[in-house]
Amino acid sequence: MTAQEVRLCGLLLREHFGEVVEKVGTHLLRGGAQNLRIIIHETGVPLDLVKKSLCVLVQHGACVFSSGRKGAGSPTEYRTSCDRILRILRYPRYIYTTKTLYGDTGELIIEELLQRGHMTMSSTVKTVADRLTQNMEGQYLSVCINQGLSKLFSLFLKVFLVLRFLFFVEIEYDKETAAVLIPPFLLEGLCMDYGEVSNAFSKLVETHFLQRCPPMVAAGAAASAAPATPATPGTPAAPVSTAPPSPESFPDCYKVPHMTLVGRGKRQLCSEDGEDQRNAKRAKMDSQAHGDEGICWQVNFERFHLHFRDQAIISAVANKLDQTSSEIVRTMLRMSEVTTSPTATCTKPLSANEIFRSLPPSYNIARPIVDQYLTLLVDDPMEFVGKAGESGGGMYVVNLHRALANLARATLESVVQERFGSRSARIFRLLLRKRHLEQKQVEDFAMIPAKEAKDMLYTLLAQNLVQLQEIPKTPDFAPSRTFYLYTVNQLPTARMLLQNCYKTVANLIERRLFESRENKRLLEKSQRIEAILASLQASGAEPEQLTEVEEMITATEKQQLEALRLHINKLDSAENQVDESIFLLESYINSTASTS
Amino acid sequence: MSEVKLKRETNVLDVVEVENRIKELCQQLPHGITDQVIQNDMPHLEPQQRAMVINKLLSLGQLDLLRNSSGLLYRMKDTQGAGKMKGSDNQEKLVYQVIEDAGNKGIWSRDIRFKSNLPLTEVNKILKNLESKKLIKAVKSVAAEAAIDSKQSPMVQRNSSFATSHEVWKYICELGISKVDLSMDDIETILNTLIYDGKVEMSVIAAKEGTAGSVDGQMKLYRGVNAVIQPTGLVRTPCGLCPVFEDCHDGGEISPSHCVYMAEWLDF
Repeated sequence: MTAQEVRLCGLLLREHFGEVVEKVGTHLLRGGAQNLRIIIHETGVPLDLVKKSLCVLVQHGACVFSSGRKGAGSPTEYRTSCDRILRILRYPRYIYTTKTLYGDTGELIIEELLQRGHMTMSSTVKTVADRLTQNMEGQYLSVCINQGLSKLFSLFLKVFLVLRFLFFVEIEYDKETAAVLIPPFLLEGLCMDYGEVSNAFSKLVETHFLQRCPPMVAAGAAASAAPATPATPGTPAAPVSTAPPSPESFPDCYKVPHMTLVGRGKRQLCSEDGEDQRNAKRAKMDSQAHGDEGICWQVNFERFHLHFRDQAIISAVANKLDQTSSEIVRTMLRMSEVTTSPTATCTKPLSANEIFRSLPPSYNIARPIVDQYLTLLVDDPMEFVGKAGESGGGMYVVNLHRALANLARATLESVVQERFGSRSARIFRLLLRKRHLEQKQVEDFAMIPAKEAKDMLYTLLAQNLVQLQEIPKTPDFAPSRTFYLYTVNQLPTARMLLQNCYKTVANLIERRLFESRENKRLLEKSQRIEAILASLQASGAEPEQLTEVEEMITATEKQQLEALRLHINKLDSAENQVDESIFLLESYINSTASTS
Repeated sequence: MSEVKLKRETNVLDVVEVENRIKELCQQLPHGITDQVIQNDMPHLEPQQRAMVINKLLSLGQLDLLRNSSGLLYRMKDTQGAGKMKGSDNQEKLVYQVIEDAGNKGIWSRDIRFKSNLPLTEVNKILKNLESKKLIKAVKSVAAEAAIDSKQSPMVQRNSSFATSHEVWKYICELGISKVDLSMDDIETILNTLIYDGKVEMSVIAAKEGTAGSVDGQMKLYRGVNAVIQPTGLVRTPCGLCPVFEDCHDGGEISPSHCVYMAEWLDF
């Protein structure tokens, strides 16, 4: 864990879980594995809060516990790692991807699971169905109100909302409460069926986007103790190990449990009569067994990463070659989705016949043309696709690691180009191709005058993007008798840029928090005024009253608010953009780690 | 005497009538009419007279002569085309026709010569005339710039997008933009800088000794390429380009909260 990573993790924890969790989390990150006592002692946080924070971290998979290093009987130790916490930065991208692939239902399922960490299938389905039902109601309601369908209804609403407003509570337009006042029969058709949500859930599990959480091994158990939960025959023999078992090591990782869950999304609150009856009913509902207790699900980040990697390769091919080539590569990657392991260097070989048959039907390409495109892809210097044999009309593979290396190289080159100019970029690319060059050779190849070339090389050297390799002619390393060769090492440079990315994201988050803090007073004032306006509008106030309230915000303040909103949006989207660079660089570094 | 006179007069009348009749037939059958059609329509017309009338219409530029598998076709020329060429003589019209038929691929002047059967000097004079009338345009193209027909197979497309170093050298020499004489090696050095700029890629093929530009049995082929990725996310933020990135800490003199570059960027 580098300092930048820890700083970024701290900021992310603070935004998502609060300051207490941030304190405990960063302490664990800095200190390695520690037991409960040490954490309490060194952070100064009270015991119950520490316990709760650890629970939160474990729930989200950020913290793992194991029995102490000093042998059986020593207290359990807790360990956090940066990777899982840094994933929080990528949550919007996961949610958006699921939305494009599986629609609103899938999006909400993933969102719920990301927020809660681990959940059983039945509770996920129920929550998502309720949310979808409310969304549908909300749309229906807003239509009703805009059309002024019921005077009586709006009267009730006015009374209710003014009462709430009198206590200066932050008012959101409370659609759930309003549902009480709408005749139930109008809303009957607007419910989300559990079955639909379960289907979406099963689809996500089939394509491995969701996985079961690995069953917990009791800490401190003897080595021979079997794991507590069922459904895992043949687990490896040593439950007490330093590394937590990966979810994939359990054979039922992607099996959807048989679940009895029939019903529809619940509307919030009551069309039922009587508080007590309602409570009783709800308690009964919750304790109803659905047949999948103890089986919790979590989001499978690795699968999303494979999807993002495939997308990056496809768009690179589309940029470099053309649309049809990228469609062919997309087909090849789609066919290899479940057969290729995440750390494989290249996909399994696919025959040209198979590829041709699996192309989307909208692409009317003749078979010989497909062969020509495959040959072109193989001949391309970027080497996205390689040929692995001649059977079946030619066996082709997608070179995953090489594609990642090329993408990382393009990222590095783009950074140098934007930061130092196109001539420095020329020198950088030259050194990447030719490995080691003397200064004179650099000037000659790049066709840049000597003085300027020297200047640029020294700047790049100062920023550590270029390294100097000394080759002595004599044992005493005398400067006049030594070759000084400039070189670029792609992997260390990528690591350095990755740390810079982390620092940049942390800077952006800090700036965003700063801007919100600076304008806190203004924000609160505007929220209050919005609330007043909403309530007055709903109760049908005259236009003069509305304008009077609106004028409570001066024009300059309005401008300031608008500027603030723009700033925060810009900073938010910049964070997502930097996260894309982070993803490419991380994938590249991980791919080299697995092969070496 | 009167017989002869009468005959001549009828001949004259006939010619105008025949011309109009042929024009009407052309309009009725816009795809073109053959000799057979004209004969069927006016069976009393002698072949010589028919030929005379058709020649007249052709020279006036009102009729188009086409050939199809079964014989000759005559088609109405649209008046706009006829107007354009007013004032040009037949040879120019012929050359223009030849160029027009080549479509948007263009045609080499040598090919124009073959198709029109005119001597080279004539063709050059006519081309200069047409160019000054702004009816045609000369496109000096290296093989690498040849128009790529999107319906061609990808292999042909790819192969036509390459240029050998020899071709590039010739093109640059012909353009005459360099005051100094450049050798092929100089051109290759310059092309290498373009490779390092990421705009061009090179591949080497085996070539027969003796073909223009081959060195040691190899030829270098160059072609332009697009970038693989868009500028990466990091450089779209001020921090990615900041000169004092290393000195920036929260609470320090240079910090994200008070960064001048960020303030400028946010207000942009």
